[in-house]
Amino acid sequence: MIELRNLACHYGERQVLRNISVSVKDHLCVLGANGSGKSTLAKALCRLIDYNGSILYDGIACKTADLAQKITYIPAKLESYDPYISVEEFVLLGRFPHKERFTDYSDKDRAIVSKTLQELNLQPLASQALHTLSSGEQQLVLIAQALTQQSRTIIFDEPTANLDPANAKKVANIIKMLKRSYTVILISHDLHLAHYFDAPILFIADGDAVLYEKNETFFEPARLSHHYGVAFDGLAVRYD
Amino acid sequence: MDWRCVMINKVLWLLLIAVALYSPFTGSAALHLNDLLTADALSQRIFFELRLPRVIFAFLAGMILSLGGLLFQTLFRNPLMTPYTLGISSGAVFGAGIAIILGMGSLAFGIAAITLFGFAGAMLTVLLLIWLSRYVKEAQGTSLLLLGIALSLFYAASLMMLFYLGDAVQNDMLIRFTMGSLSVIGYQMPLLLLIAAALLLGMLWRYRYELQLIAISEDHARLKGVNTKGLTLLLLGVASFSVGVLVSLSGPIGFIGLIVPHIVVKLYPIVLHRRILPTALFGGLFLVVCDTIARTLNTQSELPIGIVTAFIGGPFFIYLIIKRSHR
Repeated sequence: MIELRNLACHYGERQVLRNISVSVKDHLCVLGANGSGKSTLAKALCRLIDYNGSILYDGIACKTADLAQKITYIPAKLESYDPYISVEEFVLLGRFPHKERFTDYSDKDRAIVSKTLQELNLQPLASQALHTLSSGEQQLVLIAQALTQQSRTIIFDEPTANLDPANAKKVANIIKMLKRSYTVILISHDLHLAHYFDAPILFIADGDAVLYEKNETFFEPARLSHHYGVAFDGLAVRYD
Repeated sequence: MDWRCVMINKVLWLLLIAVALYSPFTGSAALHLNDLLTADALSQRIFFELRLPRVIFAFLAGMILSLGGLLFQTLFRNPLMTPYTLGISSGAVFGAGIAIILGMGSLAFGIAAITLFGFAGAMLTVLLLIWLSRYVKEAQGTSLLLLGIALSLFYAASLMMLFYLGDAVQNDMLIRFTMGSLSVIGYQMPLLLLIAAALLLGMLWRYRYELQLIAISEDHARLKGVNTKGLTLLLLGVASFSVGVLVSLSGPIGFIGLIVPHIVVKLYPIVLHRRILPTALFGGLFLVVCDTIARTLNTQSELPIGIVTAFIGGPFFIYLIIKRSHR
């Protein structure tokens, strides 16, 4: 369980999140307009940025060094300055938080990696360099790395933003499946995905957050129009 | 990798090793293996007290410069970053220059004043860079590079000032120092450099997986629990120390740190932590080869090593910039 108490973040003068207090028992879907502070919330959860207030993981404030064993963050897009790292080596880095300092990865680590690659059907790509992969394959590799990290919670930051419909469907179903064994926090603009994900919704606007325990109430067209400021046809935006 | 690349790699390595083995036998006085075996005293002295220490010194120097380049390029995610582009060597030259102009002889522990002052110059520059980088917003990439360029220009002007103040003999010493030299007598300097090189290689190897995470992105490393700020400072400190030791002993030897990591990544397009050892070896051999060229081109007196590396490195640097802009 993750508990946020009076969480507030700011970039310089600009206040991005204001006094957010939520407890995430199970899963959570975070929605909001561009620049509303969704990703800031994710970064605060992983302690990539400084924040005021407190974040408790299972009731305790976790040290940064131990956080990697509790929470994993999957960015929308894979970016690497080292383009030549292979899929297998990249996924192996997910075992870093579990590795003894100054030792090599153990056989157990490597076994976990090859099992995960098999589960996601990534075995054929294992020795390929990251930069040769498509966006869809890269998203799967990021997920594979997150799984080998074996943390309780996984944060997906706009997982389908760069994917074609077929890959989006694949990733959506993987996320849905992961709900069974992990606490999943999904950040997205994809309302179809949010609906399919089927979890309480935290809507962030201008730094404040509204929680919808029952997500059906959020997906009423009138409510969507109210939050996003545009007309909706079901879950789709009306462009006309 | 296809077989042609593998062949080119093998031939290249063999060539480098062959030249490195041939290196101690060539120079202003050519030696033969027979001279050494037949106990020719002069040849033996030249070989064991001048040539062999020099080849070892050059190898270690190339290793430090290449590893320093690889490390700086990775930490700052900038292919043009090296300890040199950040002005660390200019700082060392300025420090050594002060010692020369003040006319200082030998100092403590049998280490020359030039070396101590050069080392202090390099270290002060690093501290200055760390202090300045706290005031720039985006300390990772371009801003730090610009800071380094500004520092280098400042040091260049300061060096001019020293030339203006110095007499003819001092100025000649200063010019020689700025051209870089791998000339050593005996094993004291190679030993000092061995410590510096072993320290740098050891640290890079020990933190190779942390460095690998940083090479993906800083956030990625932090998400895996790496204290990126602390580690960056530690590794920068060690690399600057090693480069400081080197530059204070040999003077500046440009371009090695810049080009060798790029050549090695072309030879081995593989994950960063597997490139550490090839970079160290290639860098060492490469500088030995450059030094062999410097000693054999002109038999009257050898060409300063800084000139040879700059002649090879300069065009390569331009090639690199053009290639980058085409991406």
